[in-house]
Amino acid sequence: MSDALFPVVAITMGIMMLAAGIAALYVRRLLSAIIIVAFVSLSASVLFLLMDATDVAVTEAAVGAVVSTMIFLWGRGKIGGDR
Amino acid sequence: MIRSIFGLILVLVLGAIMVAVVPDIEYSEEIHGVGLHYTSQGMQETGSANLVTAVIVAYRGLDTLGEVVVLFCASTSVVLILSLYPLSLKVSRPSFIVAQTSRLLPAPILLLGLYLIAHSHLSPGGGFPGGAVIASAFLLVMLGGTAVPGSSRNLAAVESLAGLSFGLLGFWGVMKLGQFLNNLVLGTGTPGSLVSAGLIPLISLVIGIKVASELSSVFAAFRYKGGH
Repeated sequence: MSDALFPVVAITMGIMMLAAGIAALYVRRLLSAIIIVAFVSLSASVLFLLMDATDVAVTEAAVGAVVSTMIFLWGRGKIGGDR
Repeated sequence: MIRSIFGLILVLVLGAIMVAVVPDIEYSEEIHGVGLHYTSQGMQETGSANLVTAVIVAYRGLDTLGEVVVLFCASTSVVLILSLYPLSLKVSRPSFIVAQTSRLLPAPILLLGLYLIAHSHLSPGGGFPGGAVIASAFLLVMLGGTAVPGSSRNLAAVESLAGLSFGLLGFWGVMKLGQFLNNLVLGTGTPGSLVSAGLIPLISLVIGIKVASELSSVFAAFRYKGGH
């Protein structure tokens, strides 16, 4: 990634993550909220990658996007689906 | 109403503190202190081409041991609570896509996890992400519903053995060089080759096994009643 392009991509992704985070609060279905949170995790992982923090990016993708999403999904199953 | 106003005031006060404090933080462009030592001497001292792993496993090995203990306590308590109060989820049959994916993908995912662990001293990765990737491969197998769940007692044995090996590797340093978790009991080798960096690959392997078995047992406790 060229140096000139980096701030544009980073700020765009930051705004997208902010919007997704707010959307996760107000969206009606719990399932959609969980998927949106997974999207925020994955975007954070891409941002870490762009900032050359590859070790953190790998960990964020594995733990933030997969493990926590699965645990949220099972927790949603426990409380009885969407409300 | 009063609670919302109180919350708003709290947020505004915290925001004002942030605005007041953040511009005064000075970030220097140069690395100094212990960071300078790590970046200039780290590769020679530990033999690890990946400096992040060198710091996590070699220089801050004791912190990593503490982190492993914290993760152990967390996963043990999750499994304990879920075995006392099972979630009793209705396990539905997997859809066609999930069933086929769970036959194809676990092997490559497992390979990626093993690669992340084995090359932790060479390329980005390490015990924690590698273990999480391996656990996600097992998760996919569980979701596909094709596997017969084994006993979680074996999983606990693997986990305990890995934790014990971490401690014993630490005491190897005490016996040989008089320092707990000393990385240099095996010699650094040439940085960049697979067998190098002293104890780092072995400790990564142990951490990877431990994290993978802990996360798998958490998944199993969520998925199957009583963890079986």
